[in-house]
Amino acid sequence: MARIDIDAPDTTQLFIGNEAIARGALEAGIGFAAAYPGTPSSEIVGSLSAVARKMGIYAEWSVNEKVAMEAAAGASFAGVRALAAMKQNGVNVASDFLSTVIIAGIGKGGLVLIACDDPAAISSSNEQDTRLLAKWLGIPLVEPGSFQEAKDMTKWLFDLSEEIGTLCMLRSVTRISHARGNVKLGELSRKGHKAYFDQIYDSRNVMPTAFMPIPSALRHAFLYMKLDKAREKFESSPFNYYVGPDEADLLIITCGSCWLYAQDAVKTLKLEDRIGILKLGTLWPLPEKLVGKHLNKSQKILFIEDIEPFLERSVMEMVANSPEGSHYPTFYGKRSGHINAYGEQSPDLVIKAIGSILGVEYQPRDMEYAKKAEEIAKSHVSDRMMVFCPGCPHRATFWSIKNALKLDGRNGLVTGDIGCYSMALGPSGFFQVRTMHCMGAGAGVANGLGKLGQFGFNQPVIAVVGDSTFFHATIPALINGIYNQSDFILVILDNNATAMTGFQPHPGTGMTAMGEPAKVISIEALCRSLGARVEICDPFDLKSTTATLLEMMAEGGGAKVVIMRRECELVRGRKEAPPYKMHVDPDKCIGEACGCDRLCTRVFLCPGLIWDKKTGKAKIDEVICTGCGVCADICPQGAIIKEAT
Amino acid sequence: MDIRVKGWKELFDEVMDKGLCTLCGACTGGCPYLVAYKGRIVLLDNCTLSEGQCYKYCPRTYTDMDAISQRVFGIPYSEDELGTTKEVLMARSTDTSIRQRAQYGGTVTALLSLALAEGFIGSAIMTRTSDDKTPIAFIANSAEEVLQATGSNYMACPILQTYNYLPKESNRSLGIVAMPCQALALAKMKTEPPENRISIDNVKLVIGLFCTWALRPDGFHHFLKENLDLPQVKKFDIPPPPANRFDAYTQSDTISFPLEQIRKFTMPTCAYCLDMTSEFSDISVGSVEGIEGWNTVVIRTDAGAKLMEMARAKGTLETDKLPAQNLAHLKEASLLKKKRALREIVNRSGNRNDLLYVGLSQTLADRLLA
Repeated sequence: MARIDIDAPDTTQLFIGNEAIARGALEAGIGFAAAYPGTPSSEIVGSLSAVARKMGIYAEWSVNEKVAMEAAAGASFAGVRALAAMKQNGVNVASDFLSTVIIAGIGKGGLVLIACDDPAAISSSNEQDTRLLAKWLGIPLVEPGSFQEAKDMTKWLFDLSEEIGTLCMLRSVTRISHARGNVKLGELSRKGHKAYFDQIYDSRNVMPTAFMPIPSALRHAFLYMKLDKAREKFESSPFNYYVGPDEADLLIITCGSCWLYAQDAVKTLKLEDRIGILKLGTLWPLPEKLVGKHLNKSQKILFIEDIEPFLERSVMEMVANSPEGSHYPTFYGKRSGHINAYGEQSPDLVIKAIGSILGVEYQPRDMEYAKKAEEIAKSHVSDRMMVFCPGCPHRATFWSIKNALKLDGRNGLVTGDIGCYSMALGPSGFFQVRTMHCMGAGAGVANGLGKLGQFGFNQPVIAVVGDSTFFHATIPALINGIYNQSDFILVILDNNATAMTGFQPHPGTGMTAMGEPAKVISIEALCRSLGARVEICDPFDLKSTTATLLEMMAEGGGAKVVIMRRECELVRGRKEAPPYKMHVDPDKCIGEACGCDRLCTRVFLCPGLIWDKKTGKAKIDEVICTGCGVCADICPQGAIIKEAT
Repeated sequence: MDIRVKGWKELFDEVMDKGLCTLCGACTGGCPYLVAYKGRIVLLDNCTLSEGQCYKYCPRTYTDMDAISQRVFGIPYSEDELGTTKEVLMARSTDTSIRQRAQYGGTVTALLSLALAEGFIGSAIMTRTSDDKTPIAFIANSAEEVLQATGSNYMACPILQTYNYLPKESNRSLGIVAMPCQALALAKMKTEPPENRISIDNVKLVIGLFCTWALRPDGFHHFLKENLDLPQVKKFDIPPPPANRFDAYTQSDTISFPLEQIRKFTMPTCAYCLDMTSEFSDISVGSVEGIEGWNTVVIRTDAGAKLMEMARAKGTLETDKLPAQNLAHLKEASLLKKKRALREIVNRSGNRNDLLYVGLSQTLADRLLA
């Protein structure tokens, strides 16, 4: 990780976009940062928390995004500059608060929301464009088109937020947040922080200061005034600029990482003298005068942006409002089908769109070359499926769940949730998971299924949730299930880590974001206090885990909890040596014969087990095997041997 | 009749899904995919093999009766009503404490205890009734453990799964107490020895039990649970005709149910079973109609004869001639089961030449169907 706290103004550093955002916050004199981890946003508070003590700021991993946003607002109310960072799904979680804080206004400290979108949903359960939420709720919105802008915009956004008295939002995307580029540093803020909740309350002010969204209609009107002020600022913002000829055959309007793709495409086609690019950094409210000025440059306008046609529709709205007799240009983009409204954009896609609009032929490179390049690239990586890591406790858990459901025989099902264990939709979890939506939804959906007994439903329902997701959004669903006697089993995969996003601590780990010890919140004590039956299993003990699940399914009668307790192997492996040394006895391994049919390498699918086609036997990949020993218990021939180390 | 060996899919298509499964356990425990659990055969994961031992040893997939008889008895399938026999007699344990606990004469308990004591076998696989009155297969290694298995609960129990689970390198010699379908599966294993499991040669003794039908463990156990305080029940019994009832004995009481109420829990497959007397065992044991406290014993093989000889010599068993009237009645009942089953089979297949799993000589088939 780069040093975001390096005190070297005017030097150039190599930062990923999220580090540039964090650096911008430090330069802005931020005092408070809160987040719930989520790709591609996690490194913002990740890097801030690492330097928090040294920089005299506070950073935390909050229990969820709503709490993170609310906590940051609390700091703002007491005059401390604060940010909350989250991925697009997290913005939804925070949206209820956002919809009120935007009406109520902020305190003396600037308040910034960093929303990181995941075009193509590379690490997400949805492909959502948070810019629409900024427009919907009325949040001033910017989007950086480079790593430098990621830093500079963040810093500037705090000034803007304080000046107009409202929450502001920066939207990033994966290719900004997670790509790396040069960033020229500014000065770190030397301002000390003094927090005080200023309750002006005297004979002249009979009403004390209160942050609240009522009277809503009146405050809503104020918000529009604030947005007009923001628009004025945006009209002259240096984050918006035009490159290209005064009269162009085609005008591209773009933002974010698509600005980079647009430049590449125009350059590759050598059409710099025919195509102009209007790069916007301040997206909402739309700087209409600036856009209007550039619209005249061409009769053809192409919009390139990631996910939704946000600029496209905003500009169309603006043009629709043009005075009578105005000339309407032709718009190209997602509406016309020249650009996809899904997946990520790329220079190739932009070249294709330009080609079809201007009738330009372009052959990127011959297919043979591309094929060869792909083959060479592939030769450097192992041929592996997307599965749980070697030694992952989740594999063992889903093995027992699968067997318990089969043995129970009532066609029971698993409702899934968000985390590494979402992979149980596929071969790694033996295709056990039937539903997967958003944080906490597994238990929520189970609540409904578990109440269908009166309609003849008797399939057992198992809701699977990770420990961090349990704290994040599952507790209300569990309480609902217990109180309303919904018949389901909540399986909490307690691996003592927020593993999928990089092992951030959570309330069950005993550590804060800033590395300080904290009192562990006991999952079992919490669940028992709600009146649930709680069992704790070691997922590596397949037999007893399966038996516990079977017995609980047979018992029925209201929501109950099984905690599968095993530390994430990636965390354990950093602290201790493997417990076992594994090997396959080739004399005992019967491979494809009746009595096995490659159970370990065909069904169990731990990457630490390899099928040797030549010998027709399984073997251990000693480089990646973590010595968990579970495969020895599933081998029907006793051919996988574990020796204590 | 399709005589090919196939895989688990066809096993489910042709046997389980058709209600022909006997729950013998032959298909389970020998691989990681199939297990018997609470009265069902469960497929835990998909196996890709097109030919499996699950299909091969199932007593309801095609069975060449002459071939297995040749392997077990050295002769083609006998046309006798009782199958191949060396001797049919009456016996009971000389140990009154065994007799008190036994269903009838305690002959099976006595024979197994003797076989274990004399080193004839090292372990016995058999069924006992658990405290909650479900049948469970277990391995007895001593006379005391054999005593735990006295008494019947009339429910099917997949004891061959327990056999298949034994480590393949084990050289323990085994005795198995088998129902007719299980004795049939074991005979198929003896004819074509299984691979990647314990050797079938370890099985030194098969004691077969007479059987007219067995009960579905899931459904019947549910019925028992609803109608009885199960931990209080000491023994179940179906007294010989014309009693026509099912009795449950507690310490102080006997609770009776009309047999009709019980019959609806019969395994559907029993209607298609030709074998009343466990014809492919070494010794078969059943009750004697009208003579309480004795067993009918059919000695079929040299191993069976040797054990019986030992039991007489050691005074473990008291024997007597089976009255001619009883023998005649036994034969009549056995023949009736064969005829009835074959008729059911033909009704089901709709074709006199398609006897489903039964591979009989044409002449015998014709005679039984006449």
